[in-house]
Amino acid sequence: MSLNFKKILEQEKFLVLDGGMGTMLQAGGLKLGGIPEMLNFTNPDLITNIHKAYVNAGADIVYTNTFGANRLKMAKTHKSVQQIIKTAIANAKKSGAKYIALDIGPIGQLLEPTGTLKFEEAYDIFKEQIQAGEEADFIVFETMTDLLEVRAGVLAGREYGNGKPILVTMTFEENKRTFTGCEIPAMALTLEGLGVDAIGINCSLGPEELMPIVKELCQWTNLPVIVKPNAGLPDPVTNAYHFNAEKFGSCCEKFIDMGAVILGGCCGTTPEHIKAIVTMLKNKNPVQRKIAIPSAVCSANKTVIINQPRVIGERINPTGKKRFKQALIEQDIDYILNQAIQQIEAGADILDVNVGLPDINESDMMQSAVKAIQGITDTPLQLDTTDSKALEAGLRCYNGKPIVNSVNGEEESLNTVLPLVKKYGASVVGLTLDKNGIPKTAQGRFEIAERILNRALALGIRKEDVFIDCLTLTASAEQEGVMQTLEALHRVKTELGLHTVLGVSNISFGLPNRELVTRNFLTMALYAGLDLPIINPNTASMMSCVRTYKLLANIDKNAVDFIAHYGLDSAQPKPKNLQDSSNINLESAILSGLKSEAGMITKKLLESTEPMVIVNDMLIPALDRAGADFETGKIFLPQLISSASSAQSAFEVIKNYLCKSETESVNRGTIVLATVKGDIHDIGKNIVKILLENYGYEVIDLGKDVPYESVVEATKQSHALLVGLSALMTTTLPSMEATIKLLHEHCPWCKTVVGGAVLTADYAEKIGADFYAKDAKETVDIAKQVFLN
Amino acid sequence: MINLNSVDRIQAFRYMGFYGEPDENFMKLADICEKKLLSAIKPRYCWQLFQKSDIKFLLLGNDIQKHLEHCEQVILFCATLSQSTDTCIRITQTSDILAGMMIDAMASALTEQLCDSVEQEILINFKNKYSTWRFSAGYGDMPLQIQDDFLKLIHAQKRIGVCVTDSGLMIPRKSVTAIIGLSDTPIKKSQKGCITCNLFQNCPYRAKGGHCN
Repeated sequence: MSLNFKKILEQEKFLVLDGGMGTMLQAGGLKLGGIPEMLNFTNPDLITNIHKAYVNAGADIVYTNTFGANRLKMAKTHKSVQQIIKTAIANAKKSGAKYIALDIGPIGQLLEPTGTLKFEEAYDIFKEQIQAGEEADFIVFETMTDLLEVRAGVLAGREYGNGKPILVTMTFEENKRTFTGCEIPAMALTLEGLGVDAIGINCSLGPEELMPIVKELCQWTNLPVIVKPNAGLPDPVTNAYHFNAEKFGSCCEKFIDMGAVILGGCCGTTPEHIKAIVTMLKNKNPVQRKIAIPSAVCSANKTVIINQPRVIGERINPTGKKRFKQALIEQDIDYILNQAIQQIEAGADILDVNVGLPDINESDMMQSAVKAIQGITDTPLQLDTTDSKALEAGLRCYNGKPIVNSVNGEEESLNTVLPLVKKYGASVVGLTLDKNGIPKTAQGRFEIAERILNRALALGIRKEDVFIDCLTLTASAEQEGVMQTLEALHRVKTELGLHTVLGVSNISFGLPNRELVTRNFLTMALYAGLDLPIINPNTASMMSCVRTYKLLANIDKNAVDFIAHYGLDSAQPKPKNLQDSSNINLESAILSGLKSEAGMITKKLLESTEPMVIVNDMLIPALDRAGADFETGKIFLPQLISSASSAQSAFEVIKNYLCKSETESVNRGTIVLATVKGDIHDIGKNIVKILLENYGYEVIDLGKDVPYESVVEATKQSHALLVGLSALMTTTLPSMEATIKLLHEHCPWCKTVVGGAVLTADYAEKIGADFYAKDAKETVDIAKQVFLN
Repeated sequence: MINLNSVDRIQAFRYMGFYGEPDENFMKLADICEKKLLSAIKPRYCWQLFQKSDIKFLLLGNDIQKHLEHCEQVILFCATLSQSTDTCIRITQTSDILAGMMIDAMASALTEQLCDSVEQEILINFKNKYSTWRFSAGYGDMPLQIQDDFLKLIHAQKRIGVCVTDSGLMIPRKSVTAIIGLSDTPIKKSQKGCITCNLFQNCPYRAKGGHCN
């Protein structure tokens, strides 16, 4: 029977946690480099006595001695995670503590994209700990710095913890961020959304330095707040902490006044510190808090409050875009990432992500897109799909609090989408349509909005997290509907008090001068109360419309943002005119590394020249020359890459052209590339990729830290004749050998080429590679040899 | 206070395989990259003093033994430019591979500069002692495999957010661990030589049998 945390807290008023374990273990004889969790077996009395000391000092909850008891950190011991955790809980129980919390610290390896650990692996590691900790009363995650890792743990806790209360504390620096950049509001929004029972701060700093951090946290959550500070900062010479117990207790009093209700100590604290907290609490009562948390969405590192019009960029969407569809089919994530970067630079606050195509696995694609986009930007995302499996796949791995686009008034949609929104703590867009289609009148749409809101509220989704889209109809076809949309929007905003969202581009479909129509409609909609316009931010007039509105509506105070964008000093350099570059040809543009010129010249050339002629007679000879100059030492690697990047921008123009004319794309052969398992150095591999693509090869880029099996799988599927493997460290060379061995077994048709800083021709031969390439240029020569072209 | 306000460009260009005379465009790109990098880095470090006899299990290989031969105490430190630097490199690389490569090389150079400052700052605490130059896992015969224990000893994950993968790679990428030996009596400093260089594995000068300076 799981405990009701709210009730416990009501009865107890405050909960007192224990203090430091590490310092006590060292005092008890833990050797340097020893594994603290092993003391559960080798010296169980020591562990129980430490727990007992804290219980005697007045702690209500003791944390089990299992901070690092996960399968990765315990791999060197001869005990299983189950054995360690069960024993630790038994040792804790012997102390007679009121409550036992299963203590879970960081896994010890960083998650992708900075590290190599996959979200799903992290989830699985936590799941094992949580299942082993069945006998504990609570689950505690502490000293966390990566919000994504916490999400993996909390999801595992929700799904395998039998309803046990979940407590989370993260570690912040004085700049109010964690090492990974996670912000306090993002932590609060995300974890409250996921339904944890209490959140707070532990470790890193002493109580004085934690004050501003705790204060901010208390402003962002209605959950019970936990504070577990260190006893000051450690002295590197003696490794001792100096903050004395009495002072500790009086500092903690300030946390109570800020609203915290669960207190304890972290590194360097002792039973004395805990006793000081208990004494201090004797005459205290909890502060009654009722915080109005604003509408907001976030990534781990950035929170966007919906307190003014915020632009949602619509470009990550294949609808009507052949080049985008091709990118999806080829799993060309870089193309999608560049779409994201462009929109953010243009001013998007949130990015819509739609990767649905009939022929692809949308769940997998949604997951890869969300992970990849979050790897390069802090901008929050809106997950746009009609497929509930793809939606859940995206929601699971999303780091922060996203928007779900969308639910509508139909029963089936309400029943499938809203529970997912609730479970993952997202915001949701409600479309005002149902099984009868889009109501003609504003009243009809208002009623559906109301219905969606009520259903959301009934599930416990906050009103602030429901955004309504009153749907734009095309003015050319349903002219009388335009004002109905705006009226509905206005009523939803004023009468229901909800934020509104609207895709505006549709308004001008079928009309001349579309931009003019769309821009004016956008202004009207903003005035009617539109908060979240979904637009193409790359169109300058759309962004200027939003910025002007914010100026006129007195949102952009003193026109700061407006002047920054359109003032004299910010006059944008005019895009270079083609005439400037008319005196250079494609070859010299490539050789000089002139990226935008290479693109423009190619565009011009396509008016009169066949694409394949451009590729074979201009692009490739230019690259050959750059390659030859590189080999003879006339130019160096950076210049070669610069030429390759210019050729790449010429290629992108050709690809776009071929997509539009529905001609087969250029493909001189398919090559699989990967940085081997365990290695995450991928710049070298990426350089090889660009050069190969420039020569017209289709490259399937598996990324870095790629498992052997994935290389084999991709080679089998694509029947690639050549596989390129890269490794930069001596410690990952065995992975390279293993991958080659597996490839020879399962894909006897393919040749392998290897490269990387630590490789030599001799070593390449020794591990069974067919070719060794000392640089990117040589890889191209080898490809030509393999494909006989 | 650690203050990194410019990148050692000569070193950075060398790391990226550029040995020529940079032209105007190249220097312009270098300016942009340097600015971007300096605003992205979050230099952090942590250290702790140990008795050599307490951490024998860490000091594997003959070279480190020899290096610390006359030392009673050792300082272990870890310094990092932090995850924000990795992110900056990743973002830049996505839209411009050359700029990505340059920022990566600049960050490597900056990591060395960071270590120089950190070393100075730590040694202020030991003015009465003699010290060795800093030695890292991977130099000579000291295996990378000690990285995990090394980071645990100084609580590097908790204190500055540095972890290690199964293959001994530190994450964030631009991180360094190092060992400095301390002694009460003067230490005859051995030659630093090429083994401490980032380019040790693939240096074009060494390949030709020479060295850079």
